[in-house]
Amino acid sequence: MNQYTDGASSEDSGTIKIIGIGQSLRGDDAAGLEAVRLWQERHQANIERQNLQVELTELPVIGLLNLLEGTRTVILVDAVHSNAKAGTIHLLSEDQLESFSNGSGSAHGWGVAETLSLGRKLMPSTMPEVLLLIGIEAGDLSLGESLSPDVEKALPEVVHLIEQLVTRSFFL
Amino acid sequence: MNQDIHIPALARVEGEGALTIRLKDGAIDEILLNIYEPPRFFEGFLHGRYFQDVPDITARICGICPVAYQMSSVQALEAALQVTISPMVRVLRQLLYCAEYIESHALHIYLLQAPDLVNHESALTLAAEAPELVKQGLRLKKIGNELLKTIGGRSVHPVNTCVGGFYRWPSEQAIHGLIPELEWARQASIDTVKWAATLSYPDFEQAYEFVALNRIEEYAIYDGDILSSNGKRISPQEYEKYYVETHVERSNALHSHTTDNRTYFVGPLARFNLNYKKLRPMAKEAARGIGLKVPLLNPYKGLLARAIELVHTCDLAIELANLYQPNGPSHVEFSIQPGEGCGVSEAPRGLLYHRYVVDEQGFIRFARITPPTAQNLAQMESDLWALAPTVINQPQEEASITFEHLLRSYDPCISCATHFLKLKIVTE
Repeated sequence: MNQYTDGASSEDSGTIKIIGIGQSLRGDDAAGLEAVRLWQERHQANIERQNLQVELTELPVIGLLNLLEGTRTVILVDAVHSNAKAGTIHLLSEDQLESFSNGSGSAHGWGVAETLSLGRKLMPSTMPEVLLLIGIEAGDLSLGESLSPDVEKALPEVVHLIEQLVTRSFFL
Repeated sequence: MNQDIHIPALARVEGEGALTIRLKDGAIDEILLNIYEPPRFFEGFLHGRYFQDVPDITARICGICPVAYQMSSVQALEAALQVTISPMVRVLRQLLYCAEYIESHALHIYLLQAPDLVNHESALTLAAEAPELVKQGLRLKKIGNELLKTIGGRSVHPVNTCVGGFYRWPSEQAIHGLIPELEWARQASIDTVKWAATLSYPDFEQAYEFVALNRIEEYAIYDGDILSSNGKRISPQEYEKYYVETHVERSNALHSHTTDNRTYFVGPLARFNLNYKKLRPMAKEAARGIGLKVPLLNPYKGLLARAIELVHTCDLAIELANLYQPNGPSHVEFSIQPGEGCGVSEAPRGLLYHRYVVDEQGFIRFARITPPTAQNLAQMESDLWALAPTVINQPQEEASITFEHLLRSYDPCISCATHFLKLKIVTE
């Protein structure tokens, strides 16, 4: 089930979408990808549930817009950098964030906030009603395929949080 | 401007770059373009890897132009291992490249450079004023991504390309099914050219040396000889004899020069100027329609060259999609042998050179990757020096913006480093 998807498709009707973002060759940058993968492994049954979609994507750029389109609730899981201790887990709603901008500008300066803002301007009716970010504080971002121990240790808690949110959303 | 300019993070360019302009006695003393470009790390990362892993690893260097990295790497490895691909693989690779041009050019034209030319801070503010225009750009980009995904399996870092061909043929039906959208994209590209011609471009021209791939029979993107506007034509194997990279202390990216220490310019403007005659008739007609003539020596007008290339690649994509008919194996079988090979293709931002040495077991013993932005850096600095005297009397903020506009016109692809989010949490 660890199938990658990406920002090109928009023909989904799912009401909840979990999007894991990250670069698998950049150390802790892959934290979001790994957390969602682990959640998939542990909670396989949930994936079969109706109206739940999972996306794993590397550098979605402006293509994130296509992933957000047509979904009521989006849970983004991504590595973040806010000078907290590596492995710290942040749960934030859209209005709590002044800037979701990409650190490296890998999307030519297009981060989640900008993408969402553009989507809300151009296609407001298709953008998610609720967007939550689970941010995992990154430590080591050097080139490599493994996570640092602090981030690795945080993953089970992230998995638990995803499961909690998904379950709760079904009762909303 | 009466004090130094320091732009710590260039906006709307891919990756992290900083620009510092120092003044001394009222005159420009130093211009430092500081860039962090990771391909050097990737070269080390490739060492000891199995050759067949290289296309997928190099695709991760850039989220905007992964196909270019795959195309240059597979060609280099196929040269090293003496592999000949089938004609249908070539058709499909060219189609894949068209997909990347469509998504990358649409991104740069509409979301990155256009806001500068219409005095908007970003595509966000432009979208508020001209939503239909930005929507057109987004739809064009999406069509490129859809095509990329259909062939490559994913639209960000495609995974279907391998040394010898493709892991599997995409379905004929899926490719043909995209033709109506590509026809829309072709018309939208023609409209893009007309709209782009109405924009106001700063008056700035330099005597550039342009370098691009060239083929006798077509507008070279996938492969070709390396042609310079000074008339020199060389084979890809000769590249390192004529073009060298040197380390510049302030920057993580190497800077390229010709061996006789001249700067040169790669990218859409170079391709357009050197290969104008090879453009597809529809693209040439679009260029004639707005009175565009070669040589085009204004870097800001790279946007026009991109728009013309958008018409060209949409039109070419339709022809290639119609030609596509998978039959036989999607990749050729071959035996591993030690060897060395290089491959060059035209990334949307310009010439991309790869060279590899493979050992008898198929492991990489040496890798060299020269990306287009590294080749343009010295030229960009040279342009900043040429522009500076006209900017020095502007107010500080205006001067900063003027420098940034020039750099963005190059569409620098300061390849993807990490993409982590910089969090700023609002507390009330």
